[in-house]
Amino acid sequence: MNTFERLRALLARDFDLAPEALQPEATLENLEIDSLRMIEILFCVEDEFKIVVPAEHAELKERLHTLGDLAAYIDGLVQALPKAPA
Amino acid sequence: MRPVAVTGLGVVSPLGNDAGTFFAALVAGRSGVRRIALRFPERMVTRIAAPVDFDAPSHFPAPRLRMLDRVSQLALVAARQALEQSRGALDGLDPGRAGAFVGTGMGGAQTTDDGYYTLYGERSDRVKPFSVLMAMNNAPAAWIGMDHGLQGPNLTYSTACSSSTVAIGEAARRVAAGEVDVMIAGGAEAPLTFGTLKAWEALKTLAAEDPRDPAASCKPFAADRSGLVLGEGAAMLVLEDLARARARNATILARLVGYGLATDASHVTRPSVDGQARAMRLALEDAGLDVDAIGYINAHGTGTPANDPVETAAIRQVFGARAGATPVSSTKSMHAHLLGAAGALELVAAILAAREGVLPPTMNLAVPDPECDLDYVPNVARRVEGLAAVMSNSFAFGGTNAVLVACRD
Repeated sequence: MNTFERLRALLARDFDLAPEALQPEATLENLEIDSLRMIEILFCVEDEFKIVVPAEHAELKERLHTLGDLAAYIDGLVQALPKAPA
Repeated sequence: MRPVAVTGLGVVSPLGNDAGTFFAALVAGRSGVRRIALRFPERMVTRIAAPVDFDAPSHFPAPRLRMLDRVSQLALVAARQALEQSRGALDGLDPGRAGAFVGTGMGGAQTTDDGYYTLYGERSDRVKPFSVLMAMNNAPAAWIGMDHGLQGPNLTYSTACSSSTVAIGEAARRVAAGEVDVMIAGGAEAPLTFGTLKAWEALKTLAAEDPRDPAASCKPFAADRSGLVLGEGAAMLVLEDLARARARNATILARLVGYGLATDASHVTRPSVDGQARAMRLALEDAGLDVDAIGYINAHGTGTPANDPVETAAIRQVFGARAGATPVSSTKSMHAHLLGAAGALELVAAILAAREGVLPPTMNLAVPDPECDLDYVPNVARRVEGLAAVMSNSFAFGGTNAVLVACRD
């Protein structure tokens, strides 16, 4: 599964969101993901992807408008992780 | 002042999750006390409590559930039941004319316990993002307000074991004063966490487990009583302007006629005969009733060595020659001590006793204590005729004594 698919699975499983509505172009606003819900989603994302979301919330609000934005943001954080020794 | 009706009752308790089931269990003398397992069971000295059998996911969708401490879950379900029974108390009402007052002693104890376990036990900083919202003491009242769109006053009372009695008394006053027309009032408590139980253990007030029958460990007014048993649950009442309730043909389950509040202002735990007696007298005065009118007292009756003789003496002081002829029972012998929710649950028991004409017993009263010499309805429920008015006592650590009087319509 790629990052978006993992994110979609997480949102469908834990946040009662209909999988068919979870498309890359779907906006957070249309999905009724408000700032409070976003805090919880990011907490779960940290667990799922073993990352730490460093950005301040205000900054995220500027950057993240759609699920695709969120998946790309997660991807960036995952790729910045130090590579596990082979 | 306007008369106040009770038009709905909601119960989530160790003896069942609706008012009817709860009261039937009381009449049958059933106990909700049993052995429970918490985190670190090997470190628990006290292994008995009265938990609620509650399937949270059947009441709340998962994302909502993750925002609700158990205390709010129990409170919300009890409030929904009470409103449902009222059959339309909020219909056609300006939302600003309705509110919620809830009593809780320990608030979101499970969330607090879990947060500290994460921080200190697991040495992790992954504290759940909604911990503050879940643990805050006003969460149960706030969620009830949101669940039903109640835009009037929304308050949380925390006076330890009298919290919900205070919440109901204060709510009734708002209705009586004409500030609001409908209030959801009651209490909720979910203290069965490792940390909370250890704290109560340390205070040396918990009952020893009965070696033959753990369910019989709480023995109010008995010579072999050894303390209280902690329980969890919620009880909510719909309080309504009586004239409005009549106009919409609601079933009037009871009228709430008296509320007395008096503080010991002496010792943080040791109860005072005078303080308790003053609260009872004030409630009777507020009701405009003489002691003869009271046909049943649901006692605070914790089963601690300190409470029971003091409460007995206070009842004697207030009821005088009528004391011996007034039945008193402690239903805590069965549902245990729900702390901030206790008063609301016990008021429900008293109201249903008046409606059904049956007094719930004090269970586990086999060995009489000479200092506790009232009619405690020992061990077997009693059918009575013409029961009109009932009293419910709640006395608290910190000394806030609260008493409610209700009567049949």
